Amino acid sequence: MIIDTQLASLFTAGALIVIGIFAAVFLDNLIKKVIGLAFIGDGANLFLIAMGYKPGGIVYIYLPGMARDWFAQNAAYPLPFALVLTSIVIGASTMAVMLGIIMVLYKRRGSLKASKVLGE
Amino acid sequence: MNLYDLIVKRIKEGQIGSDGPVTNVSTSAMLTAEITLISSILVVLIMLRLVNNVIMIVAFLVVLFAALVSMPLMPKLKREQNDSLSNMTFYVILALAIVITLFYWGSLNV
Amino acid sequence: MNLLIPLMVIVPIICALFLNLLHKKDRTVKVIAIALALTLPLLPILANYGLHYFGGYAPLAQNSAISAGLPSLITGTALNTFHPAITYAFQDAQKLFIFILGLVALLAILVSLYETKRPSGVYGYMMFMGVAAMMAIILTDDIFNFYVFFEIAALATVGVVLVSQIKGNYETALKYMILGSIASPLLLLGIALLLGVTGNVNITDIMASLKSGVVDPQNPVLLMACGLIVFGWLYGSGLPPFHTIKSAIYSKALPHGAALLQAFSVFTFVALGIIIIRIFSYLPFSQMVILGVSLLAMILGITMALLQTDIKRMIGFLAVGELGYIGIGLGLGTVSGITAGLFQAVNEVVITAFLFIGFGAIYYQTGESDIRKLGGMMVKTPLVALLVLLAGFAMAGVPPLNAFQSKLMLIQSSIQAGVPELGVIMILLSIVTFMTFMKAFHAVFLRPKPADLEIKNEKIPKATILALLVFLVVCIVFGLFPQLATGFLQNLSVSLAGGMP
Repeated sequence: MIIDTQLASLFTAGALIVIGIFAAVFLDNLIKKVIGLAFIGDGANLFLIAMGYKPGGIVYIYLPGMARDWFAQNAAYPLPFALVLTSIVIGASTMAVMLGIIMVLYKRRGSLKASKVLGE
Repeated sequence: MNLYDLIVKRIKEGQIGSDGPVTNVSTSAMLTAEITLISSILVVLIMLRLVNNVIMIVAFLVVLFAALVSMPLMPKLKREQNDSLSNMTFYVILALAIVITLFYWGSLNV
Repeated sequence: MNLLIPLMVIVPIICALFLNLLHKKDRTVKVIAIALALTLPLLPILANYGLHYFGGYAPLAQNSAISAGLPSLITGTALNTFHPAITYAFQDAQKLFIFILGLVALLAILVSLYETKRPSGVYGYMMFMGVAAMMAIILTDDIFNFYVFFEIAALATVGVVLVSQIKGNYETALKYMILGSIASPLLLLGIALLLGVTGNVNITDIMASLKSGVVDPQNPVLLMACGLIVFGWLYGSGLPPFHTIKSAIYSKALPHGAALLQAFSVFTFVALGIIIIRIFSYLPFSQMVILGVSLLAMILGITMALLQTDIKRMIGFLAVGELGYIGIGLGLGTVSGITAGLFQAVNEVVITAFLFIGFGAIYYQTGESDIRKLGGMMVKTPLVALLVLLAGFAMAGVPPLNAFQSKLMLIQSSIQAGVPELGVIMILLSIVTFMTFMKAFHAVFLRPKPADLEIKNEKIPKATILALLVFLVVCIVFGLFPQLATGFLQNLSVSLAGGMP
C-alpha cells in the first residue's frame, strides 16, 4: 500500500473524526465539547477535499498558453474545492451560534460543566 | 460526572432494579402505554413468519415471557428517554454503531 | 427555464433579510411579512413544471450549441449526460409539497404577528429563512445543495427556539446543536464517499451511473455511504434516537414556531427519504431499515406521548409517531404504499400545525401549558374547543377528515404487499393516539377550572381563529376529495417504486 498524499489525508481525517467524537461525548467542559465538534467537521472537510486528488495533477486554473485538451486531461478535480468552501462557512457559523449560547448560559449559571448546566 | 461513570453506575443500578413512584393521575396512561408497547412488539414479531415459522414462534414466546416477568416496562422506558445530554449522546453513538454495522458488515456478509 | 422556480427560494430569503434590517419598526415588519408570506403558497400554483439550472447549463446531450465544439473525449462518454449545474426540479409532487409548506408558513407567520405583543423582525427572519431552506430542500436534485440548506434549516430551528423566552430554551437549543454537530458532519462524510465513488453530486447522474454500470453498485464504499446518509436522515427528521431532543425543541418553542418546525421535520424526512430510495433502493437492507426505524418511531413516539404532562411535548411526541406512518408507506415500496405515505406526510403537516396553533391559543390565553394546571377552557372559548376537537379527530383518523383517507390507503397497501401485521399496528396506534388526545382535551377543556388558573389575555386574536378555520377547510377538502392530493403524487410514486426490487 503506497502511502501517497490522498491516503495520508484520509487516515488523518478518520483520526480527526474519532478524536472529535471522543471529545464531544466524554469531556465535561462545554468549550472542550465544542472543540471536539469542530474536529469532527474538520475531519469531514479534509475527507471531502481529499476526494479531489489526482496523482500528478495540476492546479485547475486555466492559464493562457495551455493546450485545452492537455489541461482537461491533467487538472485535478475542481468540484470538492467548491463544496469544502461552503462547508467550512457553515461549520464556522454553527460554531459561532454554539459559542454564543454557551456565553449566555455561563452568565446565567456561572459554570462551564456540561453535567451542571445541561445534565439536569 | 462523565459518561463512563454514568454507564458503570447504570449497569450496577440495572441489576438491582429500582422503581420510582407512579402518581395517581398518570396510572391509566401508564397502563395503556404498557399494554400498547407489549402488544405492538408482539405483533411486530409475527412479521417474522416471512423468514421462518419456527423462529417466529420461539421469538414470540421468549419475548412474551420476558415482558411478563419484567412487567412494569413503561416507567423504566420513560426514565431512559430523559433529556440529559449524556443519555442522548449515548443512544446517538449506539444508533450510529448499529446503522453502520447493519449496512456495512450486514450487506457484505449476508 | 421557468423563472418562478428560483423565486420560491429567493423570495423568502429576501423577505428574511429585510425583516432583520427593519426589526423594531412594527408596522413595516407586519406589512412586509404578511405581503411576502402571501406569495409563498401562490408561487407554486403559478409556476410551470420544469427544471432550473443554477450556475450552469443543461446537459451537453441537450445542448448542441456547446457540445459541437468539444472533443469526443468528452461527448462520447457518460459525461455527455451529466448535469453541469445545480439542478432544481419542479414537478407535480413538488408543487403539492411546496403549496402545503407555503400555506402552513403563511398561517404560522400570520399567527405569530398577532399573538406576540410586538412583531419581531428577528423572529420573522428565522421563520422565513427556515421556509426558504425547506423550499430548496424539496426542489433540489443535488445532494450537496441539500446538505447546505439542511444546515440552514437547523440553524433557523435553533433561532426559533432561542427567541421564545420559555424557561430552559437555551439549554435545549445547545443540546440540539451538539447532537446536530455530531450527525451533520457524518452526513457530509456520506456525501463525500458518494462523490468519491461516483464523481458526482447530482442525484439523477448518480442514479444513472449506478444503473448503467459505470460505477459498480456492489462497491463496499457505497454501503458505508448509505449507512452514514441514513444516520443523517435520522437526525434531520427526528426519528429515534433523536426523538427526545426533537420533541423537547417543539416544547421550548412558541406554539406557532413549533407548528412551522414540525413542518420542517416532516419535509426533511420526505425529501431525504426520497433521495435514499432513489439512490440506494437496490441494496437489500434499505427497505427493511426504513420499515424498522419507522416502526420504532411509531411505537416509542406514541407510548411516550401518553405519559407527558406538557401539551406541546405531547403533540411533539405524537408528531414523531405519525412520522412512522409516513415511513411505513415509503418502506413498503409499492406504488400505492409510496403514494399513501406521501399523502400521509401532507396530511400530517396540516394536522400537527392545526393542533399546535389550537393549543397555542390556550397557551396565549393562560400562559400555561401543563395539563395538570389547566381546566375549564370550554366555557371561555367554545369555538377554539370545537376546532381543537376536530383537529384531534383528524389526527386519529376519523372520517371524513384527511388522515382517515391516508391511513386507510396505508392499511390497504400493507395488506396488498402481504404484511397485514403493519396494518394491525397502525390501527392499534391510531386508537392510542385518539386516547392520548382525548385525555389532553378533557384536561384542558372539559373538567372544571382550577382556582389558581389566571387568564392573561381575554380575547384570542382573529388571526388565530382564521388560521384554525383554514386548516379545518384543508382537512375537510382532502378528506372528501383525496384525489386532489394523490393525483399529484402518482408520477413520483411510480418512478420511486420502479426502482425497488
